Amino acid sequence: MLTEGQKKLLEELKNSLAKSVSEAKISESDYARTGYHLEFKSSQTGSRRVAKEMKRKQFNLETVTAVDFIDSFEIVYLYFNYYQDNIRVIVRIRVPKNEPPFTISAVYPEAIWLEREVYDFFGIRFKEHPDLRRILNPDDAVYFPLLKNFGKTKITDEIDDMIC
Amino acid sequence: MLTIKTIDDININERLYQLNLGPQHPSTHGVLHFLLTLDGEVVVKAEMLIGYTHRGHEKMAENRIYEQFYPNTARMDYLSGMIFNTGYCETVEKLCGIEVPKRAQYVRVITSELNRVASHLLGIMDFVMGIGAYTPFLYGWDDREQILDLLETISGSRLTYNYSRFGGVRVDVDQAFCDGARRFVDRLRGRFKLYKDLITDNIIFIKRTIGVGVISKDVALDYGVTGPTLRGSGVKYDVRKNEPYSSYQDFKFEIPTKEEGDCMARYLVRMAEMEQSLNIIEQALDNLPEGPVRADVPRFITPPAGDCYHSFESARGAVGYYIVSDGTRIPYRIKVRAPSFSNLFVMNKILPGHFVADLVAIFGSIDVTVPEIDR
Amino acid sequence: MNMTQLPIIKDVYGFLGPDLMACVTGLLLILMFVPLNSAFLVWVERKVAGHIQLRPGPMEVGPHGILQSLIDAVKLMCKEMITPDLADKYLFWIAPCTVVIPAIVCFVVIPFSPIMQVRELNVGILLIFAFSSISGLSILMGGWASNNKYSLIGAVRAVAQSIAYEIPLLLSTMSVIIMSNSLKMSEIVAAQSPVWNFVWQPVAAIIFIICTTAETNRAPFDLVEAESELVSGFHTEYTGMRDALFFMAEYTAMFIGSSMAVVLFFGGWYGPFFSGIFWFVLKAYLLVFVTVWIRWTFPRLRFDQLMNFAWKVLIPISLLNLLVTAIVIKVL
Repeated sequence: MLTEGQKKLLEELKNSLAKSVSEAKISESDYARTGYHLEFKSSQTGSRRVAKEMKRKQFNLETVTAVDFIDSFEIVYLYFNYYQDNIRVIVRIRVPKNEPPFTISAVYPEAIWLEREVYDFFGIRFKEHPDLRRILNPDDAVYFPLLKNFGKTKITDEIDDMIC
Repeated sequence: MLTIKTIDDININERLYQLNLGPQHPSTHGVLHFLLTLDGEVVVKAEMLIGYTHRGHEKMAENRIYEQFYPNTARMDYLSGMIFNTGYCETVEKLCGIEVPKRAQYVRVITSELNRVASHLLGIMDFVMGIGAYTPFLYGWDDREQILDLLETISGSRLTYNYSRFGGVRVDVDQAFCDGARRFVDRLRGRFKLYKDLITDNIIFIKRTIGVGVISKDVALDYGVTGPTLRGSGVKYDVRKNEPYSSYQDFKFEIPTKEEGDCMARYLVRMAEMEQSLNIIEQALDNLPEGPVRADVPRFITPPAGDCYHSFESARGAVGYYIVSDGTRIPYRIKVRAPSFSNLFVMNKILPGHFVADLVAIFGSIDVTVPEIDR
Repeated sequence: MNMTQLPIIKDVYGFLGPDLMACVTGLLLILMFVPLNSAFLVWVERKVAGHIQLRPGPMEVGPHGILQSLIDAVKLMCKEMITPDLADKYLFWIAPCTVVIPAIVCFVVIPFSPIMQVRELNVGILLIFAFSSISGLSILMGGWASNNKYSLIGAVRAVAQSIAYEIPLLLSTMSVIIMSNSLKMSEIVAAQSPVWNFVWQPVAAIIFIICTTAETNRAPFDLVEAESELVSGFHTEYTGMRDALFFMAEYTAMFIGSSMAVVLFFGGWYGPFFSGIFWFVLKAYLLVFVTVWIRWTFPRLRFDQLMNFAWKVLIPISLLNLLVTAIVIKVL
């Protein structure tokens, strides 16, 4: 169901992204199921290089978020092209818990607040961020709420007991 | 010896002072805190302090099954709760691959558009009230009340709706609702003339809004602004057209845009958008298909492992739900992209150089809801 | 009892004679009229606002809520008067006291009818202008003493605004004065017996009404209070009866402004069939109604626009109007 323009842009993107971040894994994905066309996976590095590349291709940053996978974090960047072809690209950067990635706020000013939010909830200290403070939680909080070890996470069986 | 200082001798920093606008302030509806550095009445630096209504919806999502997250969705943006509620269901349907019956999709469109009109009415009238005209606010409130009454008949609540379900909607709409919606469409069409006379053509309103708070196209795109605010800056982007969901491709409607990017442009875009929403409602009511309103889905769903991003247009901009599933009944992570979050941040960039009075106008014209930012 | 029958009193107070009586009764009447009038105007304002906004307004206390303002006054009297810790205590206390001075004094010279005037002064108009400037002072005092930034901004705005709008106000009054050749209120009214001054001086009349609206800090010129920006401006920190005094002064100032307009432009007490006082009060309340109507229809100006409007539009026009008036009178 992709249009010609979308196919062309996808090919271009694949090539240029592969060129700028050689160690990454790039694959197309099923838009109808996942909501994004292109998936970009990389470990530790490449967030800034991808951001610059996306900016050059006139993509916009939709959101930055993170997922806590107990042993590591996955930082998720979503880029979307409003202008002509409606291509959404998901960029996943796996980082170890003790080694945060670089900020992309120099490329996309929007990321200043988005990365502050990620820091606020996961404690990921983006390198070279201009203004990394708490944003939604209290300034003097000592916890990072969205970590999986914060608070009590119910398991499915408990909830089943509650409902049934 | 006493030295007399002239204006030029005074260090600029001695003339500046800080003003806490909010968290309790009549025009920062919700609890938003502006920390302003002022020179006289001109803003030199503005900082927005948010988080006063943070309730931790994203953490709550990780502690409950998918069905239990229904009521949370509408409480994020209480002014377009129906749209948030519907969007959440669409995201999970996308993740599980559930096909929604056509009638349910149309009902979702009708309710979402009614909700959008209600939200725009409140947003515009709040903006006008911030400028100092109190009367239009109550006129808009009167119209909005009709929508709330209508939506109450089908969903049971007036603000924080819990109407959509995975695979459809909770109850079917009846003839009374359709007639009521048609009556409302006719009524609001007749009121646009009144709003034009009362607000749009008012000389003081024009003076207060034209050229105030200009967000240029580049700034808007860099800061991730979406919704009517982005369209007021001349970018033709609307999720309903760019990535049609829930049968939006079936309807004929325009995306109103303005090039100026000032408060007036955003106001006019919202006004035009309400007319388009009325068109959509009318078309959906005309072509409302027969059939069930809910697909056959299990009582408790268990999505496959994987992730999914779904974007949809709320009254304030493009909302996105990003759901990561680990194959159990509990979501592993739900991230909500709140449009107001980015729309508010752009004020950091455009406020310096404006008067405090303009701050109220700009804030009103961008139309953010604070609980949505704080989540 | 006739005062002349008491020799001692006659010796002591005789030279005052009827003046003393007029003074006492006049003062009592004014002191009764001022609070009742502002209570009534508050009710009118709420009622008119309500009907403009598709709602009934106050309905509970008395028929159509007519006693609502009295009950509100009782409530305000019962409230605690809070003085902020860091406020300048004396100035904070004095400001609401001084704000009622112009409200009371200005009534002395207003001619409600040919006979109903407490004191006829040669410089009646001047007295009103002189005393109404005091309200600017007390707003500045109140705003400054509150030690609150919103109040301070409101107070500074008030001073700038009253200076800017007093000039066109006086200029437009001047054009009437050179027409009637007197500063006496009653003579100005008497000069309008066949034709109202409004017919000869429409520009001056409109400027006068605009400027009184601005002087009394009413919307669309209510930047001193500007609820959506400055919370309540200069009286943010005031509570209870002190706040009520500011309100009373505002509504009385509105009435005085309208009475001035009636005297200067709308023929004072002249009117057919009914007595003078009826016509005077009717005209004054109609003008008050117009200000209320404007308030609930228009948005608020921004401060720089307000200043530009005064200095760049109103002052040149009123100067020109004065010049034309002077030339026409000289030539004719």
